[in-house]
Amino acid sequence: MATNVIMPQMGESIAEGTITKWMKKVGERIDRDEPLFEISTDKVDAEIPSPAGGVLTQILVKENETVAVNTVVAVIDGEGAALAAPAASAVAAPKPDVAPSAALPTPSPAAVSSALPAGAPSVQIPEGGEEEIRTSPLVRRIAREHNVDLIQVKGTGLGGRVSKKDILDFIEQRGATPAAAPPPAVSAAPTAPPAVTFTGAAQSVPMTPMRRQIAEHMVTSLRTSAHVYTVVEVEMTRVVAARERFKDEFERRNGIKLTYTAFFVRACVEAIKEFPIINSSVEGTNIIYKRDVNIGLAVALENGLIVPVIKRADEKNFLGIARAVQDFADRARSKRLSVDDVQGGTFTITNPGSFGGLFGLPIINQPQVAILGVGAIEKRPVVRDDAIAIRHMVYLSVSYDHRVIDGAVAEKFMAKIKTILENWDEAVL
Amino acid sequence: MALLTYLEAIRHGIWEEMERDPSVLLMGEDIGAYGGAFKVTAGMLEKFGEARVIDTPICESAIVGAAIGAALMGMRPVVEMQFMDFIASGFDQIVNMAAKLHYRWGPAVPIVIRGPSGAGVHGGPYHSQSNEMWFVHTPGLKVVAPATAYDAKGLIKAAIRDDNPVIFYEHKFLYRRIKEEIPEQDYVVPIGKGVVRREGTDIAVITYGAMVWTALDAARELEKEGLSLEVVDLRSLLPYDEETVLASARKCGKVILLHEDTRTGGMAGELAALIAEKAFEDLDGPIVRVTAPDTPVPFAPPLEEYFLPNAAKLAEAARKLAAY
Amino acid sequence: MGSTKTVKSSPRKASPDAATLERMLYYLKLTRESESRIENVLYRQGKIVGGVYVGRGQEAIGVGASLTMRPGDVTFPCHRDFSVFLIRGFTLADIFANWLGRADSPNRGRDNTIHIGDMKLGIIPIISPLGATLPVACGVGLVLKQRGKGNVALVHFGEGTTSLGHVHEAMNFAAVGKLPVIFICNNNQYAYSTPVEKQFAVKSLAVRGPAYGMPGERVDGTDVLAVYDAVERAGAHARAGKGPSFLECVTLRMAGHSAHDAAEYVPEKLKQAWAKKDPIQRLENLLLSRKVMTKQQIEELGTQVSGEIDRAIAEAEARPLPRGEDAVQGVYCGPDCWWEKPCP
Repeated sequence: MATNVIMPQMGESIAEGTITKWMKKVGERIDRDEPLFEISTDKVDAEIPSPAGGVLTQILVKENETVAVNTVVAVIDGEGAALAAPAASAVAAPKPDVAPSAALPTPSPAAVSSALPAGAPSVQIPEGGEEEIRTSPLVRRIAREHNVDLIQVKGTGLGGRVSKKDILDFIEQRGATPAAAPPPAVSAAPTAPPAVTFTGAAQSVPMTPMRRQIAEHMVTSLRTSAHVYTVVEVEMTRVVAARERFKDEFERRNGIKLTYTAFFVRACVEAIKEFPIINSSVEGTNIIYKRDVNIGLAVALENGLIVPVIKRADEKNFLGIARAVQDFADRARSKRLSVDDVQGGTFTITNPGSFGGLFGLPIINQPQVAILGVGAIEKRPVVRDDAIAIRHMVYLSVSYDHRVIDGAVAEKFMAKIKTILENWDEAVL
Repeated sequence: MALLTYLEAIRHGIWEEMERDPSVLLMGEDIGAYGGAFKVTAGMLEKFGEARVIDTPICESAIVGAAIGAALMGMRPVVEMQFMDFIASGFDQIVNMAAKLHYRWGPAVPIVIRGPSGAGVHGGPYHSQSNEMWFVHTPGLKVVAPATAYDAKGLIKAAIRDDNPVIFYEHKFLYRRIKEEIPEQDYVVPIGKGVVRREGTDIAVITYGAMVWTALDAARELEKEGLSLEVVDLRSLLPYDEETVLASARKCGKVILLHEDTRTGGMAGELAALIAEKAFEDLDGPIVRVTAPDTPVPFAPPLEEYFLPNAAKLAEAARKLAAY
Repeated sequence: MGSTKTVKSSPRKASPDAATLERMLYYLKLTRESESRIENVLYRQGKIVGGVYVGRGQEAIGVGASLTMRPGDVTFPCHRDFSVFLIRGFTLADIFANWLGRADSPNRGRDNTIHIGDMKLGIIPIISPLGATLPVACGVGLVLKQRGKGNVALVHFGEGTTSLGHVHEAMNFAAVGKLPVIFICNNNQYAYSTPVEKQFAVKSLAVRGPAYGMPGERVDGTDVLAVYDAVERAGAHARAGKGPSFLECVTLRMAGHSAHDAAEYVPEKLKQAWAKKDPIQRLENLLLSRKVMTKQQIEELGTQVSGEIDRAIAEAEARPLPRGEDAVQGVYCGPDCWWEKPCP
């Protein structure tokens, strides 16, 4: 039965040894405890007796070679250092004060075991919350248990935090109140910014990295593009009707919500196809037309924003768009958007209406040349056939770069969107 | 029942154990003829004799070592440290000899090392320390710190009857300042169990020693403001009562960890990690620590007052946490 | 190493009989060869890991001292006193198993070398911070005195250890209490690489005895009979209620501090001089000259000892290593005591 001969550890801090002399050659017999080889270490030189009797079948480390403690240097009566431990005499790990495992012999060099002993207490990692809302683990748990969307809960804690009392109050009051118009698009409503504690007349608070980026981007964009704005009013009757009629079945069939955002994205994609200049960027004196229509959707975050991009929106149908919208909404809220998700946009849609704004005048998202702002969808009195009618209306605004887009083009682009929305007939399901 | 001070309760506990078990003996400086620097052992030499109440030279290492030797021979020694600050002189014997002996070769080491600790008496850096964490960090030892007279008696008995080395932290500030009706009959307070001293709903204050009284004072004041504090008295630091700590943390959702010991490496850190690990989903606010700062205990009254936590500081922390 | 005039040197009184002399040789040889196997064979084969400390050249101290012990006496051997464990009743197999870190061994793998003890055998082990046993010995002495059966505690330590505070606290404590403790100091002249000139300022440690209020004596630590005699007398002193004694047994550490120390700092001349005083050689010569044993008997004894050691090592090696998860057992003593159950 083969026995591995190992480089011993002569001293607690010794990690290696050098073979200075082999007293036997391969093929020679040796008795147990008979001197087999000599070593030299930092602390001492020593003669090493053989751990077993038999024939020296392999010498694996030559004279003057230095190897780590516990390396197999020779084999008696057998083949291969790959064999497991020599019978009976198990060798412990080389640094007992570092490697807790002394159970099994290891033929490999001084590997410090980092494994915890089996009886070590296990690490408990609690499941994390998903909300971007400022709150606590307890509140998140209560929200989960009661199916509460924390966006809807008013926070009275520090900095607008949703406290335990807040959510318990909310659950108590929640009842027959039907949900208002569904929260538009993908905006995760941010809470109030954290309250500032004043120690003087003014309090300096450093910007977060996201804030710095946004600040930089915004002023650069204004410096770069020749911003011009135009606003149109769109009647949303058909869209609202389509949504109302189909939203339940849509959700049931597809497992995702039917939001207004999907309608706007589809309309933009069609309009962009007719006016490709909208889908371009400027490089010096060149206009770079982009083949793919990648629609970015601005999502408000607490203290910032992020713009995930629906890639090749021109190749997606309504359902595909709706899915992408929902996916971004979920992942933006739970902070699982990747770098790839926010790159490559060619056109952006933002939603100043989500907080009730009539319309907005957004800043172009560089290096794009136009951005659409969607206002709040509201019932307003309008004139139809010379009479006052109450219709669902929305203001759409476009900020465009007059370096490459002229007013006429912009207005026709908007007219196209208006036409699509007001005459909606695309199958939703 | 008898109305006893915290100190008298300890004396009664030791006395009763001495009567009950002839293998119990006492060792320490000035404990015999003088009755102990704080008079905890007054009357015991007269009652139990020189063989069982031994006045030693000043040699904490030898005293603890001799106690260990006597324990190996079947006795149950109770060693007094005149001030727990001086326990450092016997550190090697405690952590290397006593704590590891059973683990290494099997026999029991039933010794108790007891003494006054804590600040608030203008004692300065060497008569005021709370050095319990040196020993809480040493597996093989047990560490207890009673806050009431009832517990002081029950725990000294438990410590004497325990087969392991027990470090028994008495709080000198409490020695004569608290009195309680103590049952005459034999009773024991188990090591390793905490207790809720005051029930509450808004914030759980978890503490031990003299600070238990501080917490109760603050709780009374805050109740007038509509803030309800639950006060947990740990009683034992090693082992400590995880269940009681977690139950209160979960119940209130907000926790303040309070101790007179300095901040870094104090018991509060250990409990904060436990609560964050096992009660994360029940927390409605950050875990807050109210402790002494990381300095030696200063002498001059304004310095010591700044150093020590008190009811006002606790109340402020509680109001802030409540508003979170 | 001049003589210490302040120290009494009593004439040798004890005279062990032939059987005892033979036992002495047996234990000296058993110790010498066991330690040689540990240091030169098992350790170099990687079968023993960690630190290895032997008492080569100093075996006479453990043998001489322990053979004076009576039932009920308690001893505190240190790492150079292998023989004490054997004499008091640990089996060779158990000792080797402990060195090899086996589960079924006196330390169950929790501590190494010969940090082993057993109250039934009257042995209390050291901890690596040496000197800590001296106060413990005082506690043992305290109880022995109270029980009044004339028992003593013997505590072994080296000259380097005497620089520690524990030692002085203990000697003072023992003297004040007139405790039956025999302080046996093995002055092997080197504490690791520190020679005695750098360890203490007195010429002989024996003066410390009277300095603390107890007799002090300097003894030839390589002469097993001298040690036996000195310890016997100190024992009589203690058993009579007269208190502790301090014995300085002088030897030379004939090996390195540990197995990985080549001890090049020990001058060759010194080693050669002390090699001539080898305790085994001296006792063999005495046994031959007194015709207590023949040359052949001595050789046979050597063979017998080798055989015993072979068998013990084989038995110890066959025992399994401890299971990792048992590391967390037996920290506290309680009703369900892990140590009281058979070894897992």
